Amino acid sequence: MKGLPEDYLHYPHRRRGMDHEIYPYRALPAAKPVSWPNGARVALCIAVHMGHFPMDMPLKPFIAPGGMERPYPSYWDYTLRDYGNRIGVYRLMKSLAARSLPATALLSAVLARRYPALMDDLAGAQWEIACAGLDMGRLHHSGVALEEERATVQEAASLLRARFGAAVRGWHSPAHSESSHTLRLVAEAGFSFTTGWANDDMPYVMTTDAGRLICMPLSQDLSDQRMLHQQHLATEDFTNSILTAHETLDREAQETGSGRILVVPVTPWLMGVPHRIRAFNAMLDGIMARGNVWPASMGQIADLWRAQNPG
Amino acid sequence: MLSEPGHYDYMPWRRRPRITWPNGARIAFWVAPNIEHYELDPPPNARRMPWTRPQPDVLGYSWRDYGNRVGLWRMADVMARHGVRGSVSLNVAVCDHYPEIIERCCELDWELFSHGTYNTRYFYGMNEDQQRAVIRENRETIKRASGQELDGWLTPAISNDETTQHLLAEEGIKYTLDMLHDDQPTPIKVRSGHLISIPYSLEINDVPLLAMRNTPPERFAAICKAQFDQLYEEGAESGTVMCMPLHPFLIGQPHRIKALDDVLRHVVRHDKVWLATGREIAAWYTEHHLAEAQSWIAAGTP
Repeated sequence: MKGLPEDYLHYPHRRRGMDHEIYPYRALPAAKPVSWPNGARVALCIAVHMGHFPMDMPLKPFIAPGGMERPYPSYWDYTLRDYGNRIGVYRLMKSLAARSLPATALLSAVLARRYPALMDDLAGAQWEIACAGLDMGRLHHSGVALEEERATVQEAASLLRARFGAAVRGWHSPAHSESSHTLRLVAEAGFSFTTGWANDDMPYVMTTDAGRLICMPLSQDLSDQRMLHQQHLATEDFTNSILTAHETLDREAQETGSGRILVVPVTPWLMGVPHRIRAFNAMLDGIMARGNVWPASMGQIADLWRAQNPG
Repeated sequence: MLSEPGHYDYMPWRRRPRITWPNGARIAFWVAPNIEHYELDPPPNARRMPWTRPQPDVLGYSWRDYGNRVGLWRMADVMARHGVRGSVSLNVAVCDHYPEIIERCCELDWELFSHGTYNTRYFYGMNEDQQRAVIRENRETIKRASGQELDGWLTPAISNDETTQHLLAEEGIKYTLDMLHDDQPTPIKVRSGHLISIPYSLEINDVPLLAMRNTPPERFAAICKAQFDQLYEEGAESGTVMCMPLHPFLIGQPHRIKALDDVLRHVVRHDKVWLATGREIAAWYTEHHLAEAQSWIAAGTP
């Protein structure tokens, strides 16, 4: 009997550690303990997914969640996402400012060109700006030629740095999409941390041919985009899950003596709508009421982690 | 193509010979953590693509990777706290990639059974020699890594082919989990050798519940407890089995681990529960109940 090609039973990467060279295996209990300012147990990072979704975005090889899921021209999808950058994000800014909480915007770079007024307001709010690629239609995958992908990364970095300068140090690939070159191109463009790999609760170091990157935790599973948009769950299912995650991480920090990180990924067109903003506020108040929280930007957390994890 | 698996006879839920578990337990409760490795760049299979996005599917890969880096460690602690051992549905290459994980499983006295080599290497389309080679290699690797015998089997991604169950029996596997036809162990018909099925579950399983049916954590716990309560009640008549298959990349997340804690607390506070492993359930059933079940079937399930 014919069966599968012989090499289907060959495993060239079967060995100790990972099946790639990007980072070594490290179990969470083996992570070096870290300390946060003032003995805080949990670092709180609000990560705001500020995407721009072009109405003519390509639908292949896959559609970014929140992309044009209906036939062209989808005013439904386009305008609802755009709402986030007009209205929703301002609600989030107000909620966070009222609580003196920082945030990190994972920003489609074209927004710097499209909405300079919004950029001024983000700067005014002192949000950290991280680059989430050019826009949500420009995905990174193996079908993109290397030079084309390099140009995309460079253009995105330039657009944001022209407005915000060298403070733009973080990269998040749109929809967590990457080719096998993306990390190298991101390091080459001078970024120091990335958030694409949803495989840890703590930072770790990635190695590329163009230097190192710190991989910062950013959940996709526990995000408003996944839970509210893709899974159609209720607002409270998301906010309660965040509170439960905080409870777990806070307890682990006490038990292990190592700081933990709670990243709250929120999306202005989802969490910034009127019927959800009070639940968002209540969630933030619930986290802060527990105490021992260090509210920080992703870059601040990366820096402090790096200072305690040299080498 | 076959019109049915052909591995078991019809056995109505009524009139079955009574199953009894050790110490008068009504229910055998077992937890099956699926400790898996999904390759970043696996070869294609004609019947199923390993990833939904073009490779490398960084989102899909890193999500699974979370289980081995973080989730497994967290769920193992919770299980240990409740005195619940795991029966690991193991992608056997994990023995090579992450020996730390195998060490932790052995320290907790968990059983290791095979879930194939990688979850990205399907049995779809393999010929018999190829399937046999995987089973044999898995047996040797588990023995080398843990000293354990290989008794149980769940085909990776339940990608079994038509002949897989026959080969399992011929290679000395004692129990299979590829079939979902029952709440009790049952005899499995194979061309030679012996094989039984013990209940696994795709109802009480975090992949279908959490990732496919979008169940929030509290609801997940409620569903698991409802399953347990009913099987515990029915177990007064004849012993039942409840399997709780879990995936560390899902249940081991900080917002969900509390749900597992909640379910296990509920289970262990009942006194007529046998906290078993797959191997123990299979051995008990084979020794005490298999022959009786076979005679009952041969007599036309009177």
